[in-house]
Amino acid sequence: MTDAARREPIFEAQGVIKRFGGIAAVDGASMSIDQGSITALIGPNGAGKTTFFNVITGFYKPDRGTATFGGEAVLGRPPYVLARMGMVRTFQITKALSAMPVVDNMMLAAPDQPGEKLRNLITQPGAVRRREAEVHEQAMELLDVFNLAKLAEHYAGTLSGGQRKLLELARALMTRPRLLLLDEPMAGINPTLGRRLLDHMQRLRAEDNVTFLFVEHDMEVVMGHSDRVVVMAQGRVIADGTPDEVRSDQGVIDAYLGGGA
Amino acid sequence: MSELALPVAISFDAFTSLGFWISVGIFAGTFTIFTLGLQLNVGYTGIFNFGQAGFMAIGAYSMAILVTDKGMNFWVSLPIAILITMGFGLIVGLPSLRLRADYLAITTIAASEAIRLTALNARDLTGGAQGIFGFGDSWDEVADSIEGWLEWLGWSNPDNLAPLLIVVWGVALLLTLTLSKAQRTPWGRVLRAVREDEDAARALGKNAFAYKLQSLMIAAALGAIAGFFLAVNLAFVVPDSFGPTFTFLGYAVLVLGGLTSYWGVAVGAIILQTVLEGLRFLELPISEVKVSALRFVILGLVLIGLMAFRPQGMFGKREEMVIGD
Repeated sequence: MTDAARREPIFEAQGVIKRFGGIAAVDGASMSIDQGSITALIGPNGAGKTTFFNVITGFYKPDRGTATFGGEAVLGRPPYVLARMGMVRTFQITKALSAMPVVDNMMLAAPDQPGEKLRNLITQPGAVRRREAEVHEQAMELLDVFNLAKLAEHYAGTLSGGQRKLLELARALMTRPRLLLLDEPMAGINPTLGRRLLDHMQRLRAEDNVTFLFVEHDMEVVMGHSDRVVVMAQGRVIADGTPDEVRSDQGVIDAYLGGGA
Repeated sequence: MSELALPVAISFDAFTSLGFWISVGIFAGTFTIFTLGLQLNVGYTGIFNFGQAGFMAIGAYSMAILVTDKGMNFWVSLPIAILITMGFGLIVGLPSLRLRADYLAITTIAASEAIRLTALNARDLTGGAQGIFGFGDSWDEVADSIEGWLEWLGWSNPDNLAPLLIVVWGVALLLTLTLSKAQRTPWGRVLRAVREDEDAARALGKNAFAYKLQSLMIAAALGAIAGFFLAVNLAFVVPDSFGPTFTFLGYAVLVLGGLTSYWGVAVGAIILQTVLEGLRFLELPISEVKVSALRFVILGLVLIGLMAFRPQGMFGKREEMVIGD
């Protein structure tokens, strides 16, 4: 890929503000994410990372700001519309659909299933069946990649914490995302599974040109696996650059150590 | 020994009477259709509809008013009454389904009581406490011809409620089959996902709100159909038939049969009606009114026992009940 193409931003946010009562959890955050990059979003607790995630994915209504995804305005649009556009998120606390089998979790996420509309069940049962077969195959392939294939028929609620993280990532991939937003994907999983998850991210970026924005606290992971690091503190973006640049930034060090940011 | 008469006895005369069982059967069939809607909402969508009796009232009153007041053909009035009821479902769901689950419970129970109290007081339209009657002629004709067939099949002098029993259960089974089948489609899968975690469903591109609205409107339609059978069975429509107790008994059916089982609804409805009606024949040294009240005490104890020892009901899936997040 040429340098110019790599610099093409897939997502841009400008001056995003989200207030809860008198407190601005996100207080004018701006950032841009390059197509095909892996960007880490870091910051001390309470910096507004998760709130920022919730705002740009439509789960919270913003008070102010703009955001574009692939050139289209996205801020304030409902989550399901953004997901269909290719901007898909996972959650800090995994949301496995517990009382549904693992394979159903996967198949649910597939787009363009006409059988999700009642009238198509009657008018085009053939198309629904064909799509189901297709989706089932894709689901099993992906589960295989994530070492979950043998658990396909188990209820998702019976998986371990780490397996749920993998399932959530695999499920998000079923939607064929262009931008994946992962909220603390490594939290609470053992290092082996964590490494596998990171390998998947690298591979997906290389093979399918998926762009990643992920929130993470483990600095080793952040510095070792991201192209760019965006640092938030007190609702604002205080630094933005390569891992090395951010590491030596005095403002970042102060923010983490509790100095005057 | 012989002079020590037992204080408790059950008279079994009624149990051998065919008329008794036909009457129990019709109510059980009506309850089945009524509760299928609750199963769709509570068991498969995770929304707590406490206003099913209100939807039943809208269906029954719409039909009765269209036929007696507007002179509409009975059979034409049925689909229109269903559409009107679904419209009510939409009106109730639009403001409340976006909010947390408990708001829908409050809104639906309030709407259901508002409907019943309106029916009680809007005398010009609903006949007030006297209600509406005289809408069943078209049904009576059909019932007569079914009776004719039954005689032709060799049942001499069939019970005059037998045709209603046959039709109510025919409809109940057809609806149970249809819903079970719909539940196994991609559409049903989205509903279950909404039940499990609405935000996860939304994050995966599903318009959770639209699915909850559909679920509520279909439940409303099922309530309307149950309302038709109740109206035809009683031959009149009065506000008293549509109290919140009807909805609560629907929930009892749901618990008995088990969440997430459409077939369990039919079994639960049969058991509930048999127990409630059967216990009328308990002979205790207390007044009949007290016996009547005691039935609900016993039903309550049965439900508590079920919750403690078999929370999934008779046909529910235990795994789905015990799996936490």
